[in-house]
Amino acid sequence: MSDTLTAPPSGPPVATERPPGRVAEALWLAVPYVVSVVLAFVVGGLVILALGRDPFAAFESVLTTSFNTRFGTVETLHKWVPITLCAYAFAIPLATGKFNIGAEGQLLVGATGGVALGIVWSDLPMVVLLPCVLLAGVLAGAVWAGIAAFLMTRFKVNEILSTVVLNFVSFQLIDYVASHVWPDRGAGHPATTPVGEGARLPGIGEAPPMHAGVIVTLVLVVAVAVFMRRTPTGFEMRAVGANLRAAQVHGIRTSRLAGAGLLVGGAVGGLAGAVEVAGVHGKMLEGMQSNFLILGIIVGLMARGSMLALPFVAFGIAVLEVGAGAMQRTAQVPVEMVLIIEALILLFLLLSDVARAKLRRH
Amino acid sequence: MSSGESPRLEMRGIVKTFGPVTALDAVDLVVGRNEVHGLLGGNGAGKTTLMNVLYGLYRPNAGEILLDGAPVTIGSPKDAIAAGVGMVHQTFLQVDNYTVTENIVLGTDLPGRLRLDLTEARERIRELSERFGLTVDPDAVVEDLPVGVRQRVEILKALYRGAKLLILDEPTTNLTPQEVDDLFGSMRAMVDDGMSVVLITHKIRETLSVCDRMTVMRDGRRVETIERADTDAERLAEKMVGSAADPGAAVDAALGAVDADKVAVTLSAVGTTTAVAVRDLVVANDQGHELVRGFDLELREGEIVGIAGVAGNGQVELAEALAGVRPLLGGTVEIAGRSMGGLPTAAWLEHGVAYVPEDRHRDGILPTASITENLVLGSQHSPQVRRRGLIDWGAAKQRAVEAIAEFSVRANGPGTLVGDLSGGNIQRVILARAFARQPRMLILHNPTRGLDIGSTRFVYQQVRKATASGCAVLLISEDLDEVIALSDRVIALYQGSRAGEWAHGAVDAYEVGRSMTGLGEARV
Repeated sequence: MSDTLTAPPSGPPVATERPPGRVAEALWLAVPYVVSVVLAFVVGGLVILALGRDPFAAFESVLTTSFNTRFGTVETLHKWVPITLCAYAFAIPLATGKFNIGAEGQLLVGATGGVALGIVWSDLPMVVLLPCVLLAGVLAGAVWAGIAAFLMTRFKVNEILSTVVLNFVSFQLIDYVASHVWPDRGAGHPATTPVGEGARLPGIGEAPPMHAGVIVTLVLVVAVAVFMRRTPTGFEMRAVGANLRAAQVHGIRTSRLAGAGLLVGGAVGGLAGAVEVAGVHGKMLEGMQSNFLILGIIVGLMARGSMLALPFVAFGIAVLEVGAGAMQRTAQVPVEMVLIIEALILLFLLLSDVARAKLRRH
Repeated sequence: MSSGESPRLEMRGIVKTFGPVTALDAVDLVVGRNEVHGLLGGNGAGKTTLMNVLYGLYRPNAGEILLDGAPVTIGSPKDAIAAGVGMVHQTFLQVDNYTVTENIVLGTDLPGRLRLDLTEARERIRELSERFGLTVDPDAVVEDLPVGVRQRVEILKALYRGAKLLILDEPTTNLTPQEVDDLFGSMRAMVDDGMSVVLITHKIRETLSVCDRMTVMRDGRRVETIERADTDAERLAEKMVGSAADPGAAVDAALGAVDADKVAVTLSAVGTTTAVAVRDLVVANDQGHELVRGFDLELREGEIVGIAGVAGNGQVELAEALAGVRPLLGGTVEIAGRSMGGLPTAAWLEHGVAYVPEDRHRDGILPTASITENLVLGSQHSPQVRRRGLIDWGAAKQRAVEAIAEFSVRANGPGTLVGDLSGGNIQRVILARAFARQPRMLILHNPTRGLDIGSTRFVYQQVRKATASGCAVLLISEDLDEVIALSDRVIALYQGSRAGEWAHGAVDAYEVGRSMTGLGEARV
């Protein structure tokens, strides 16, 4: 049989390969982003025009506020931190095909964990207390998402439902903590007393200072990229997301991994809460979750599973968010216009998938 | 073909492109009256695409279609049916819990407004099935019927709608030899009755035994149209393969079905050591039905054991149980002396079990990941892949480049997404991954289904190579020719148990076919 083995394996010429080079491929991938952003601004501009305002003035302030003043830049980076973290909280479980709609709750419970240590141990020096506060946020977020993960792996409870419902539970939790456990009676609305000095993230640069949470987030961005790309577990998570059945057939314990993904996502969400406490507010207050949940989901979906693209997309969204206030002041266009534009970008991006699939078929 | 009369079907200069890919390049096809016309070619040759154009599923970019000499525009299957064209696809669209009659009349103008009266329809179906030898009970519920009978239902569907031209897309894939004979008999009856039949196939033996004329296609072009009398298997195979790198070997493989001896393995590689021992195996499907019951198997090192059977007789469950993917409900599996029951899938992989699943897209690959990543899948924890705890993608890429060369994967590079590859190249990637682990036991499930001749040949070569190094191979296939040609022993599987066993060289295909359908006498 050996003589037949030495014969080179033959195959017919393949007619279905697509030859374009790497640059063309990358450009082809960027096209839908550019088109979607432009279209969203065109449609948004028409709406602003219909409102009787000047769309160009509006867009100018939306797009330039973040870069004109140091204040705008710092503000943008401070927004970028929770948006990025909440986007990871959504995107990491999504890599295994699970939808974490609970970043809000994980952020609030993480903030609760952080604020608790920050108040109880307020006398400790920063080198000890600050890591404890951040770690408490991480753990609290993981535990909160862990409830959903446990229900999902043990009883097959849909994670979308459980994470959403847990958000509502978290509202009650922080309400209780802010009005009964460590209430700040003079605040006027539910808020805790401030954390100790040692629990605050140090500021960087002259006034207004940027809090060091930005650095923490940058480190996390690198860590997540390395984790997803280089560790066996990260690879397994991507494999599960790419094809659950094939991952199972090749020895990956998919349900355990999906649970782990949710846990990690929750941990990142919890970190967002602790950073908001330690960097921005110095305490916990009702409403601090802002609209980070929805922005995180938008960013996570826009990044389309790429952990590398995600922080950049988040930055773009942070620019729009910060510009929104300026737009309202200078062009009298309501801030909600920006959320509409963000939604339109996502919508056009999703439509481009449909269009592309159609193009391929024909 | 009678002269003077216009042919039943004429397709002229059909062009069909999908994006940058030209699937059909100015193809002509003429099918005469009273003719079984074979449409022969490898995977990706454009046979099915051409017929999908005729059936209105694709719109051609250029070209015209004439039926009985008159130009027609076919924009949808509805137009096609109205013009007298019927098509039976490889996958059937049937309502499982409806009867045969209900399935056949579904979508036609039904009699009665308030009450559904199917007496007339039932009579017509009975009449059609008798006339063409398509034995089927009009009142049977479809889900209770075997594949062969469900196919007859599909053919009757076309006949009931008044098809004058019937297209059959690879109809013999899941049939036993007896059922194939019956089908060919029915096809003959149809053309004798004035119809025309187009048979899409990649099997040369089939075209030779039933077709009056055949058109060979390759790479989206028509190569030649030949009368049955003017050709033979060798010549057809050459036309199909064209100018491949190694035409001799590829022709050999194409002829496998014609002359089993030409691809038959040398049996000397079989060792004496038992590699795998399976006792009294019980496995259930996802719904909890025990589809494998009391299955015994012994595999020696270097041995190929073929499992022949009609789809749905427990093949998937057997394969997955032996791959460690599906839990054993009963019995034991010992591989190289180690009892594997209850261990996680990863432990089976580590112990040298390699599995090439039937459904490559669903079970075999990560479509949105690169070739490199797909090759790492399953060994991401092994020390060869990791350096200081992290996956060493540089080295993995290097190995992927080597594998691409060794397994002749047609791809732009190791970064190509596997979902963008053709079926044959996907199978090469899966094989490369399986063999990289130097398996003790290789489970192949329908390993060459849908592959072109070159890739099929390549799979066979790799299997032989594996057995030469002592790997035990379990070949589960619905292609009976393949099982018989490759295996040292053939086992017929019927309803999850063995229904017979034959040694290489002592196999009678019809006997195996009877055992596969539960009609044979067990010879264990």
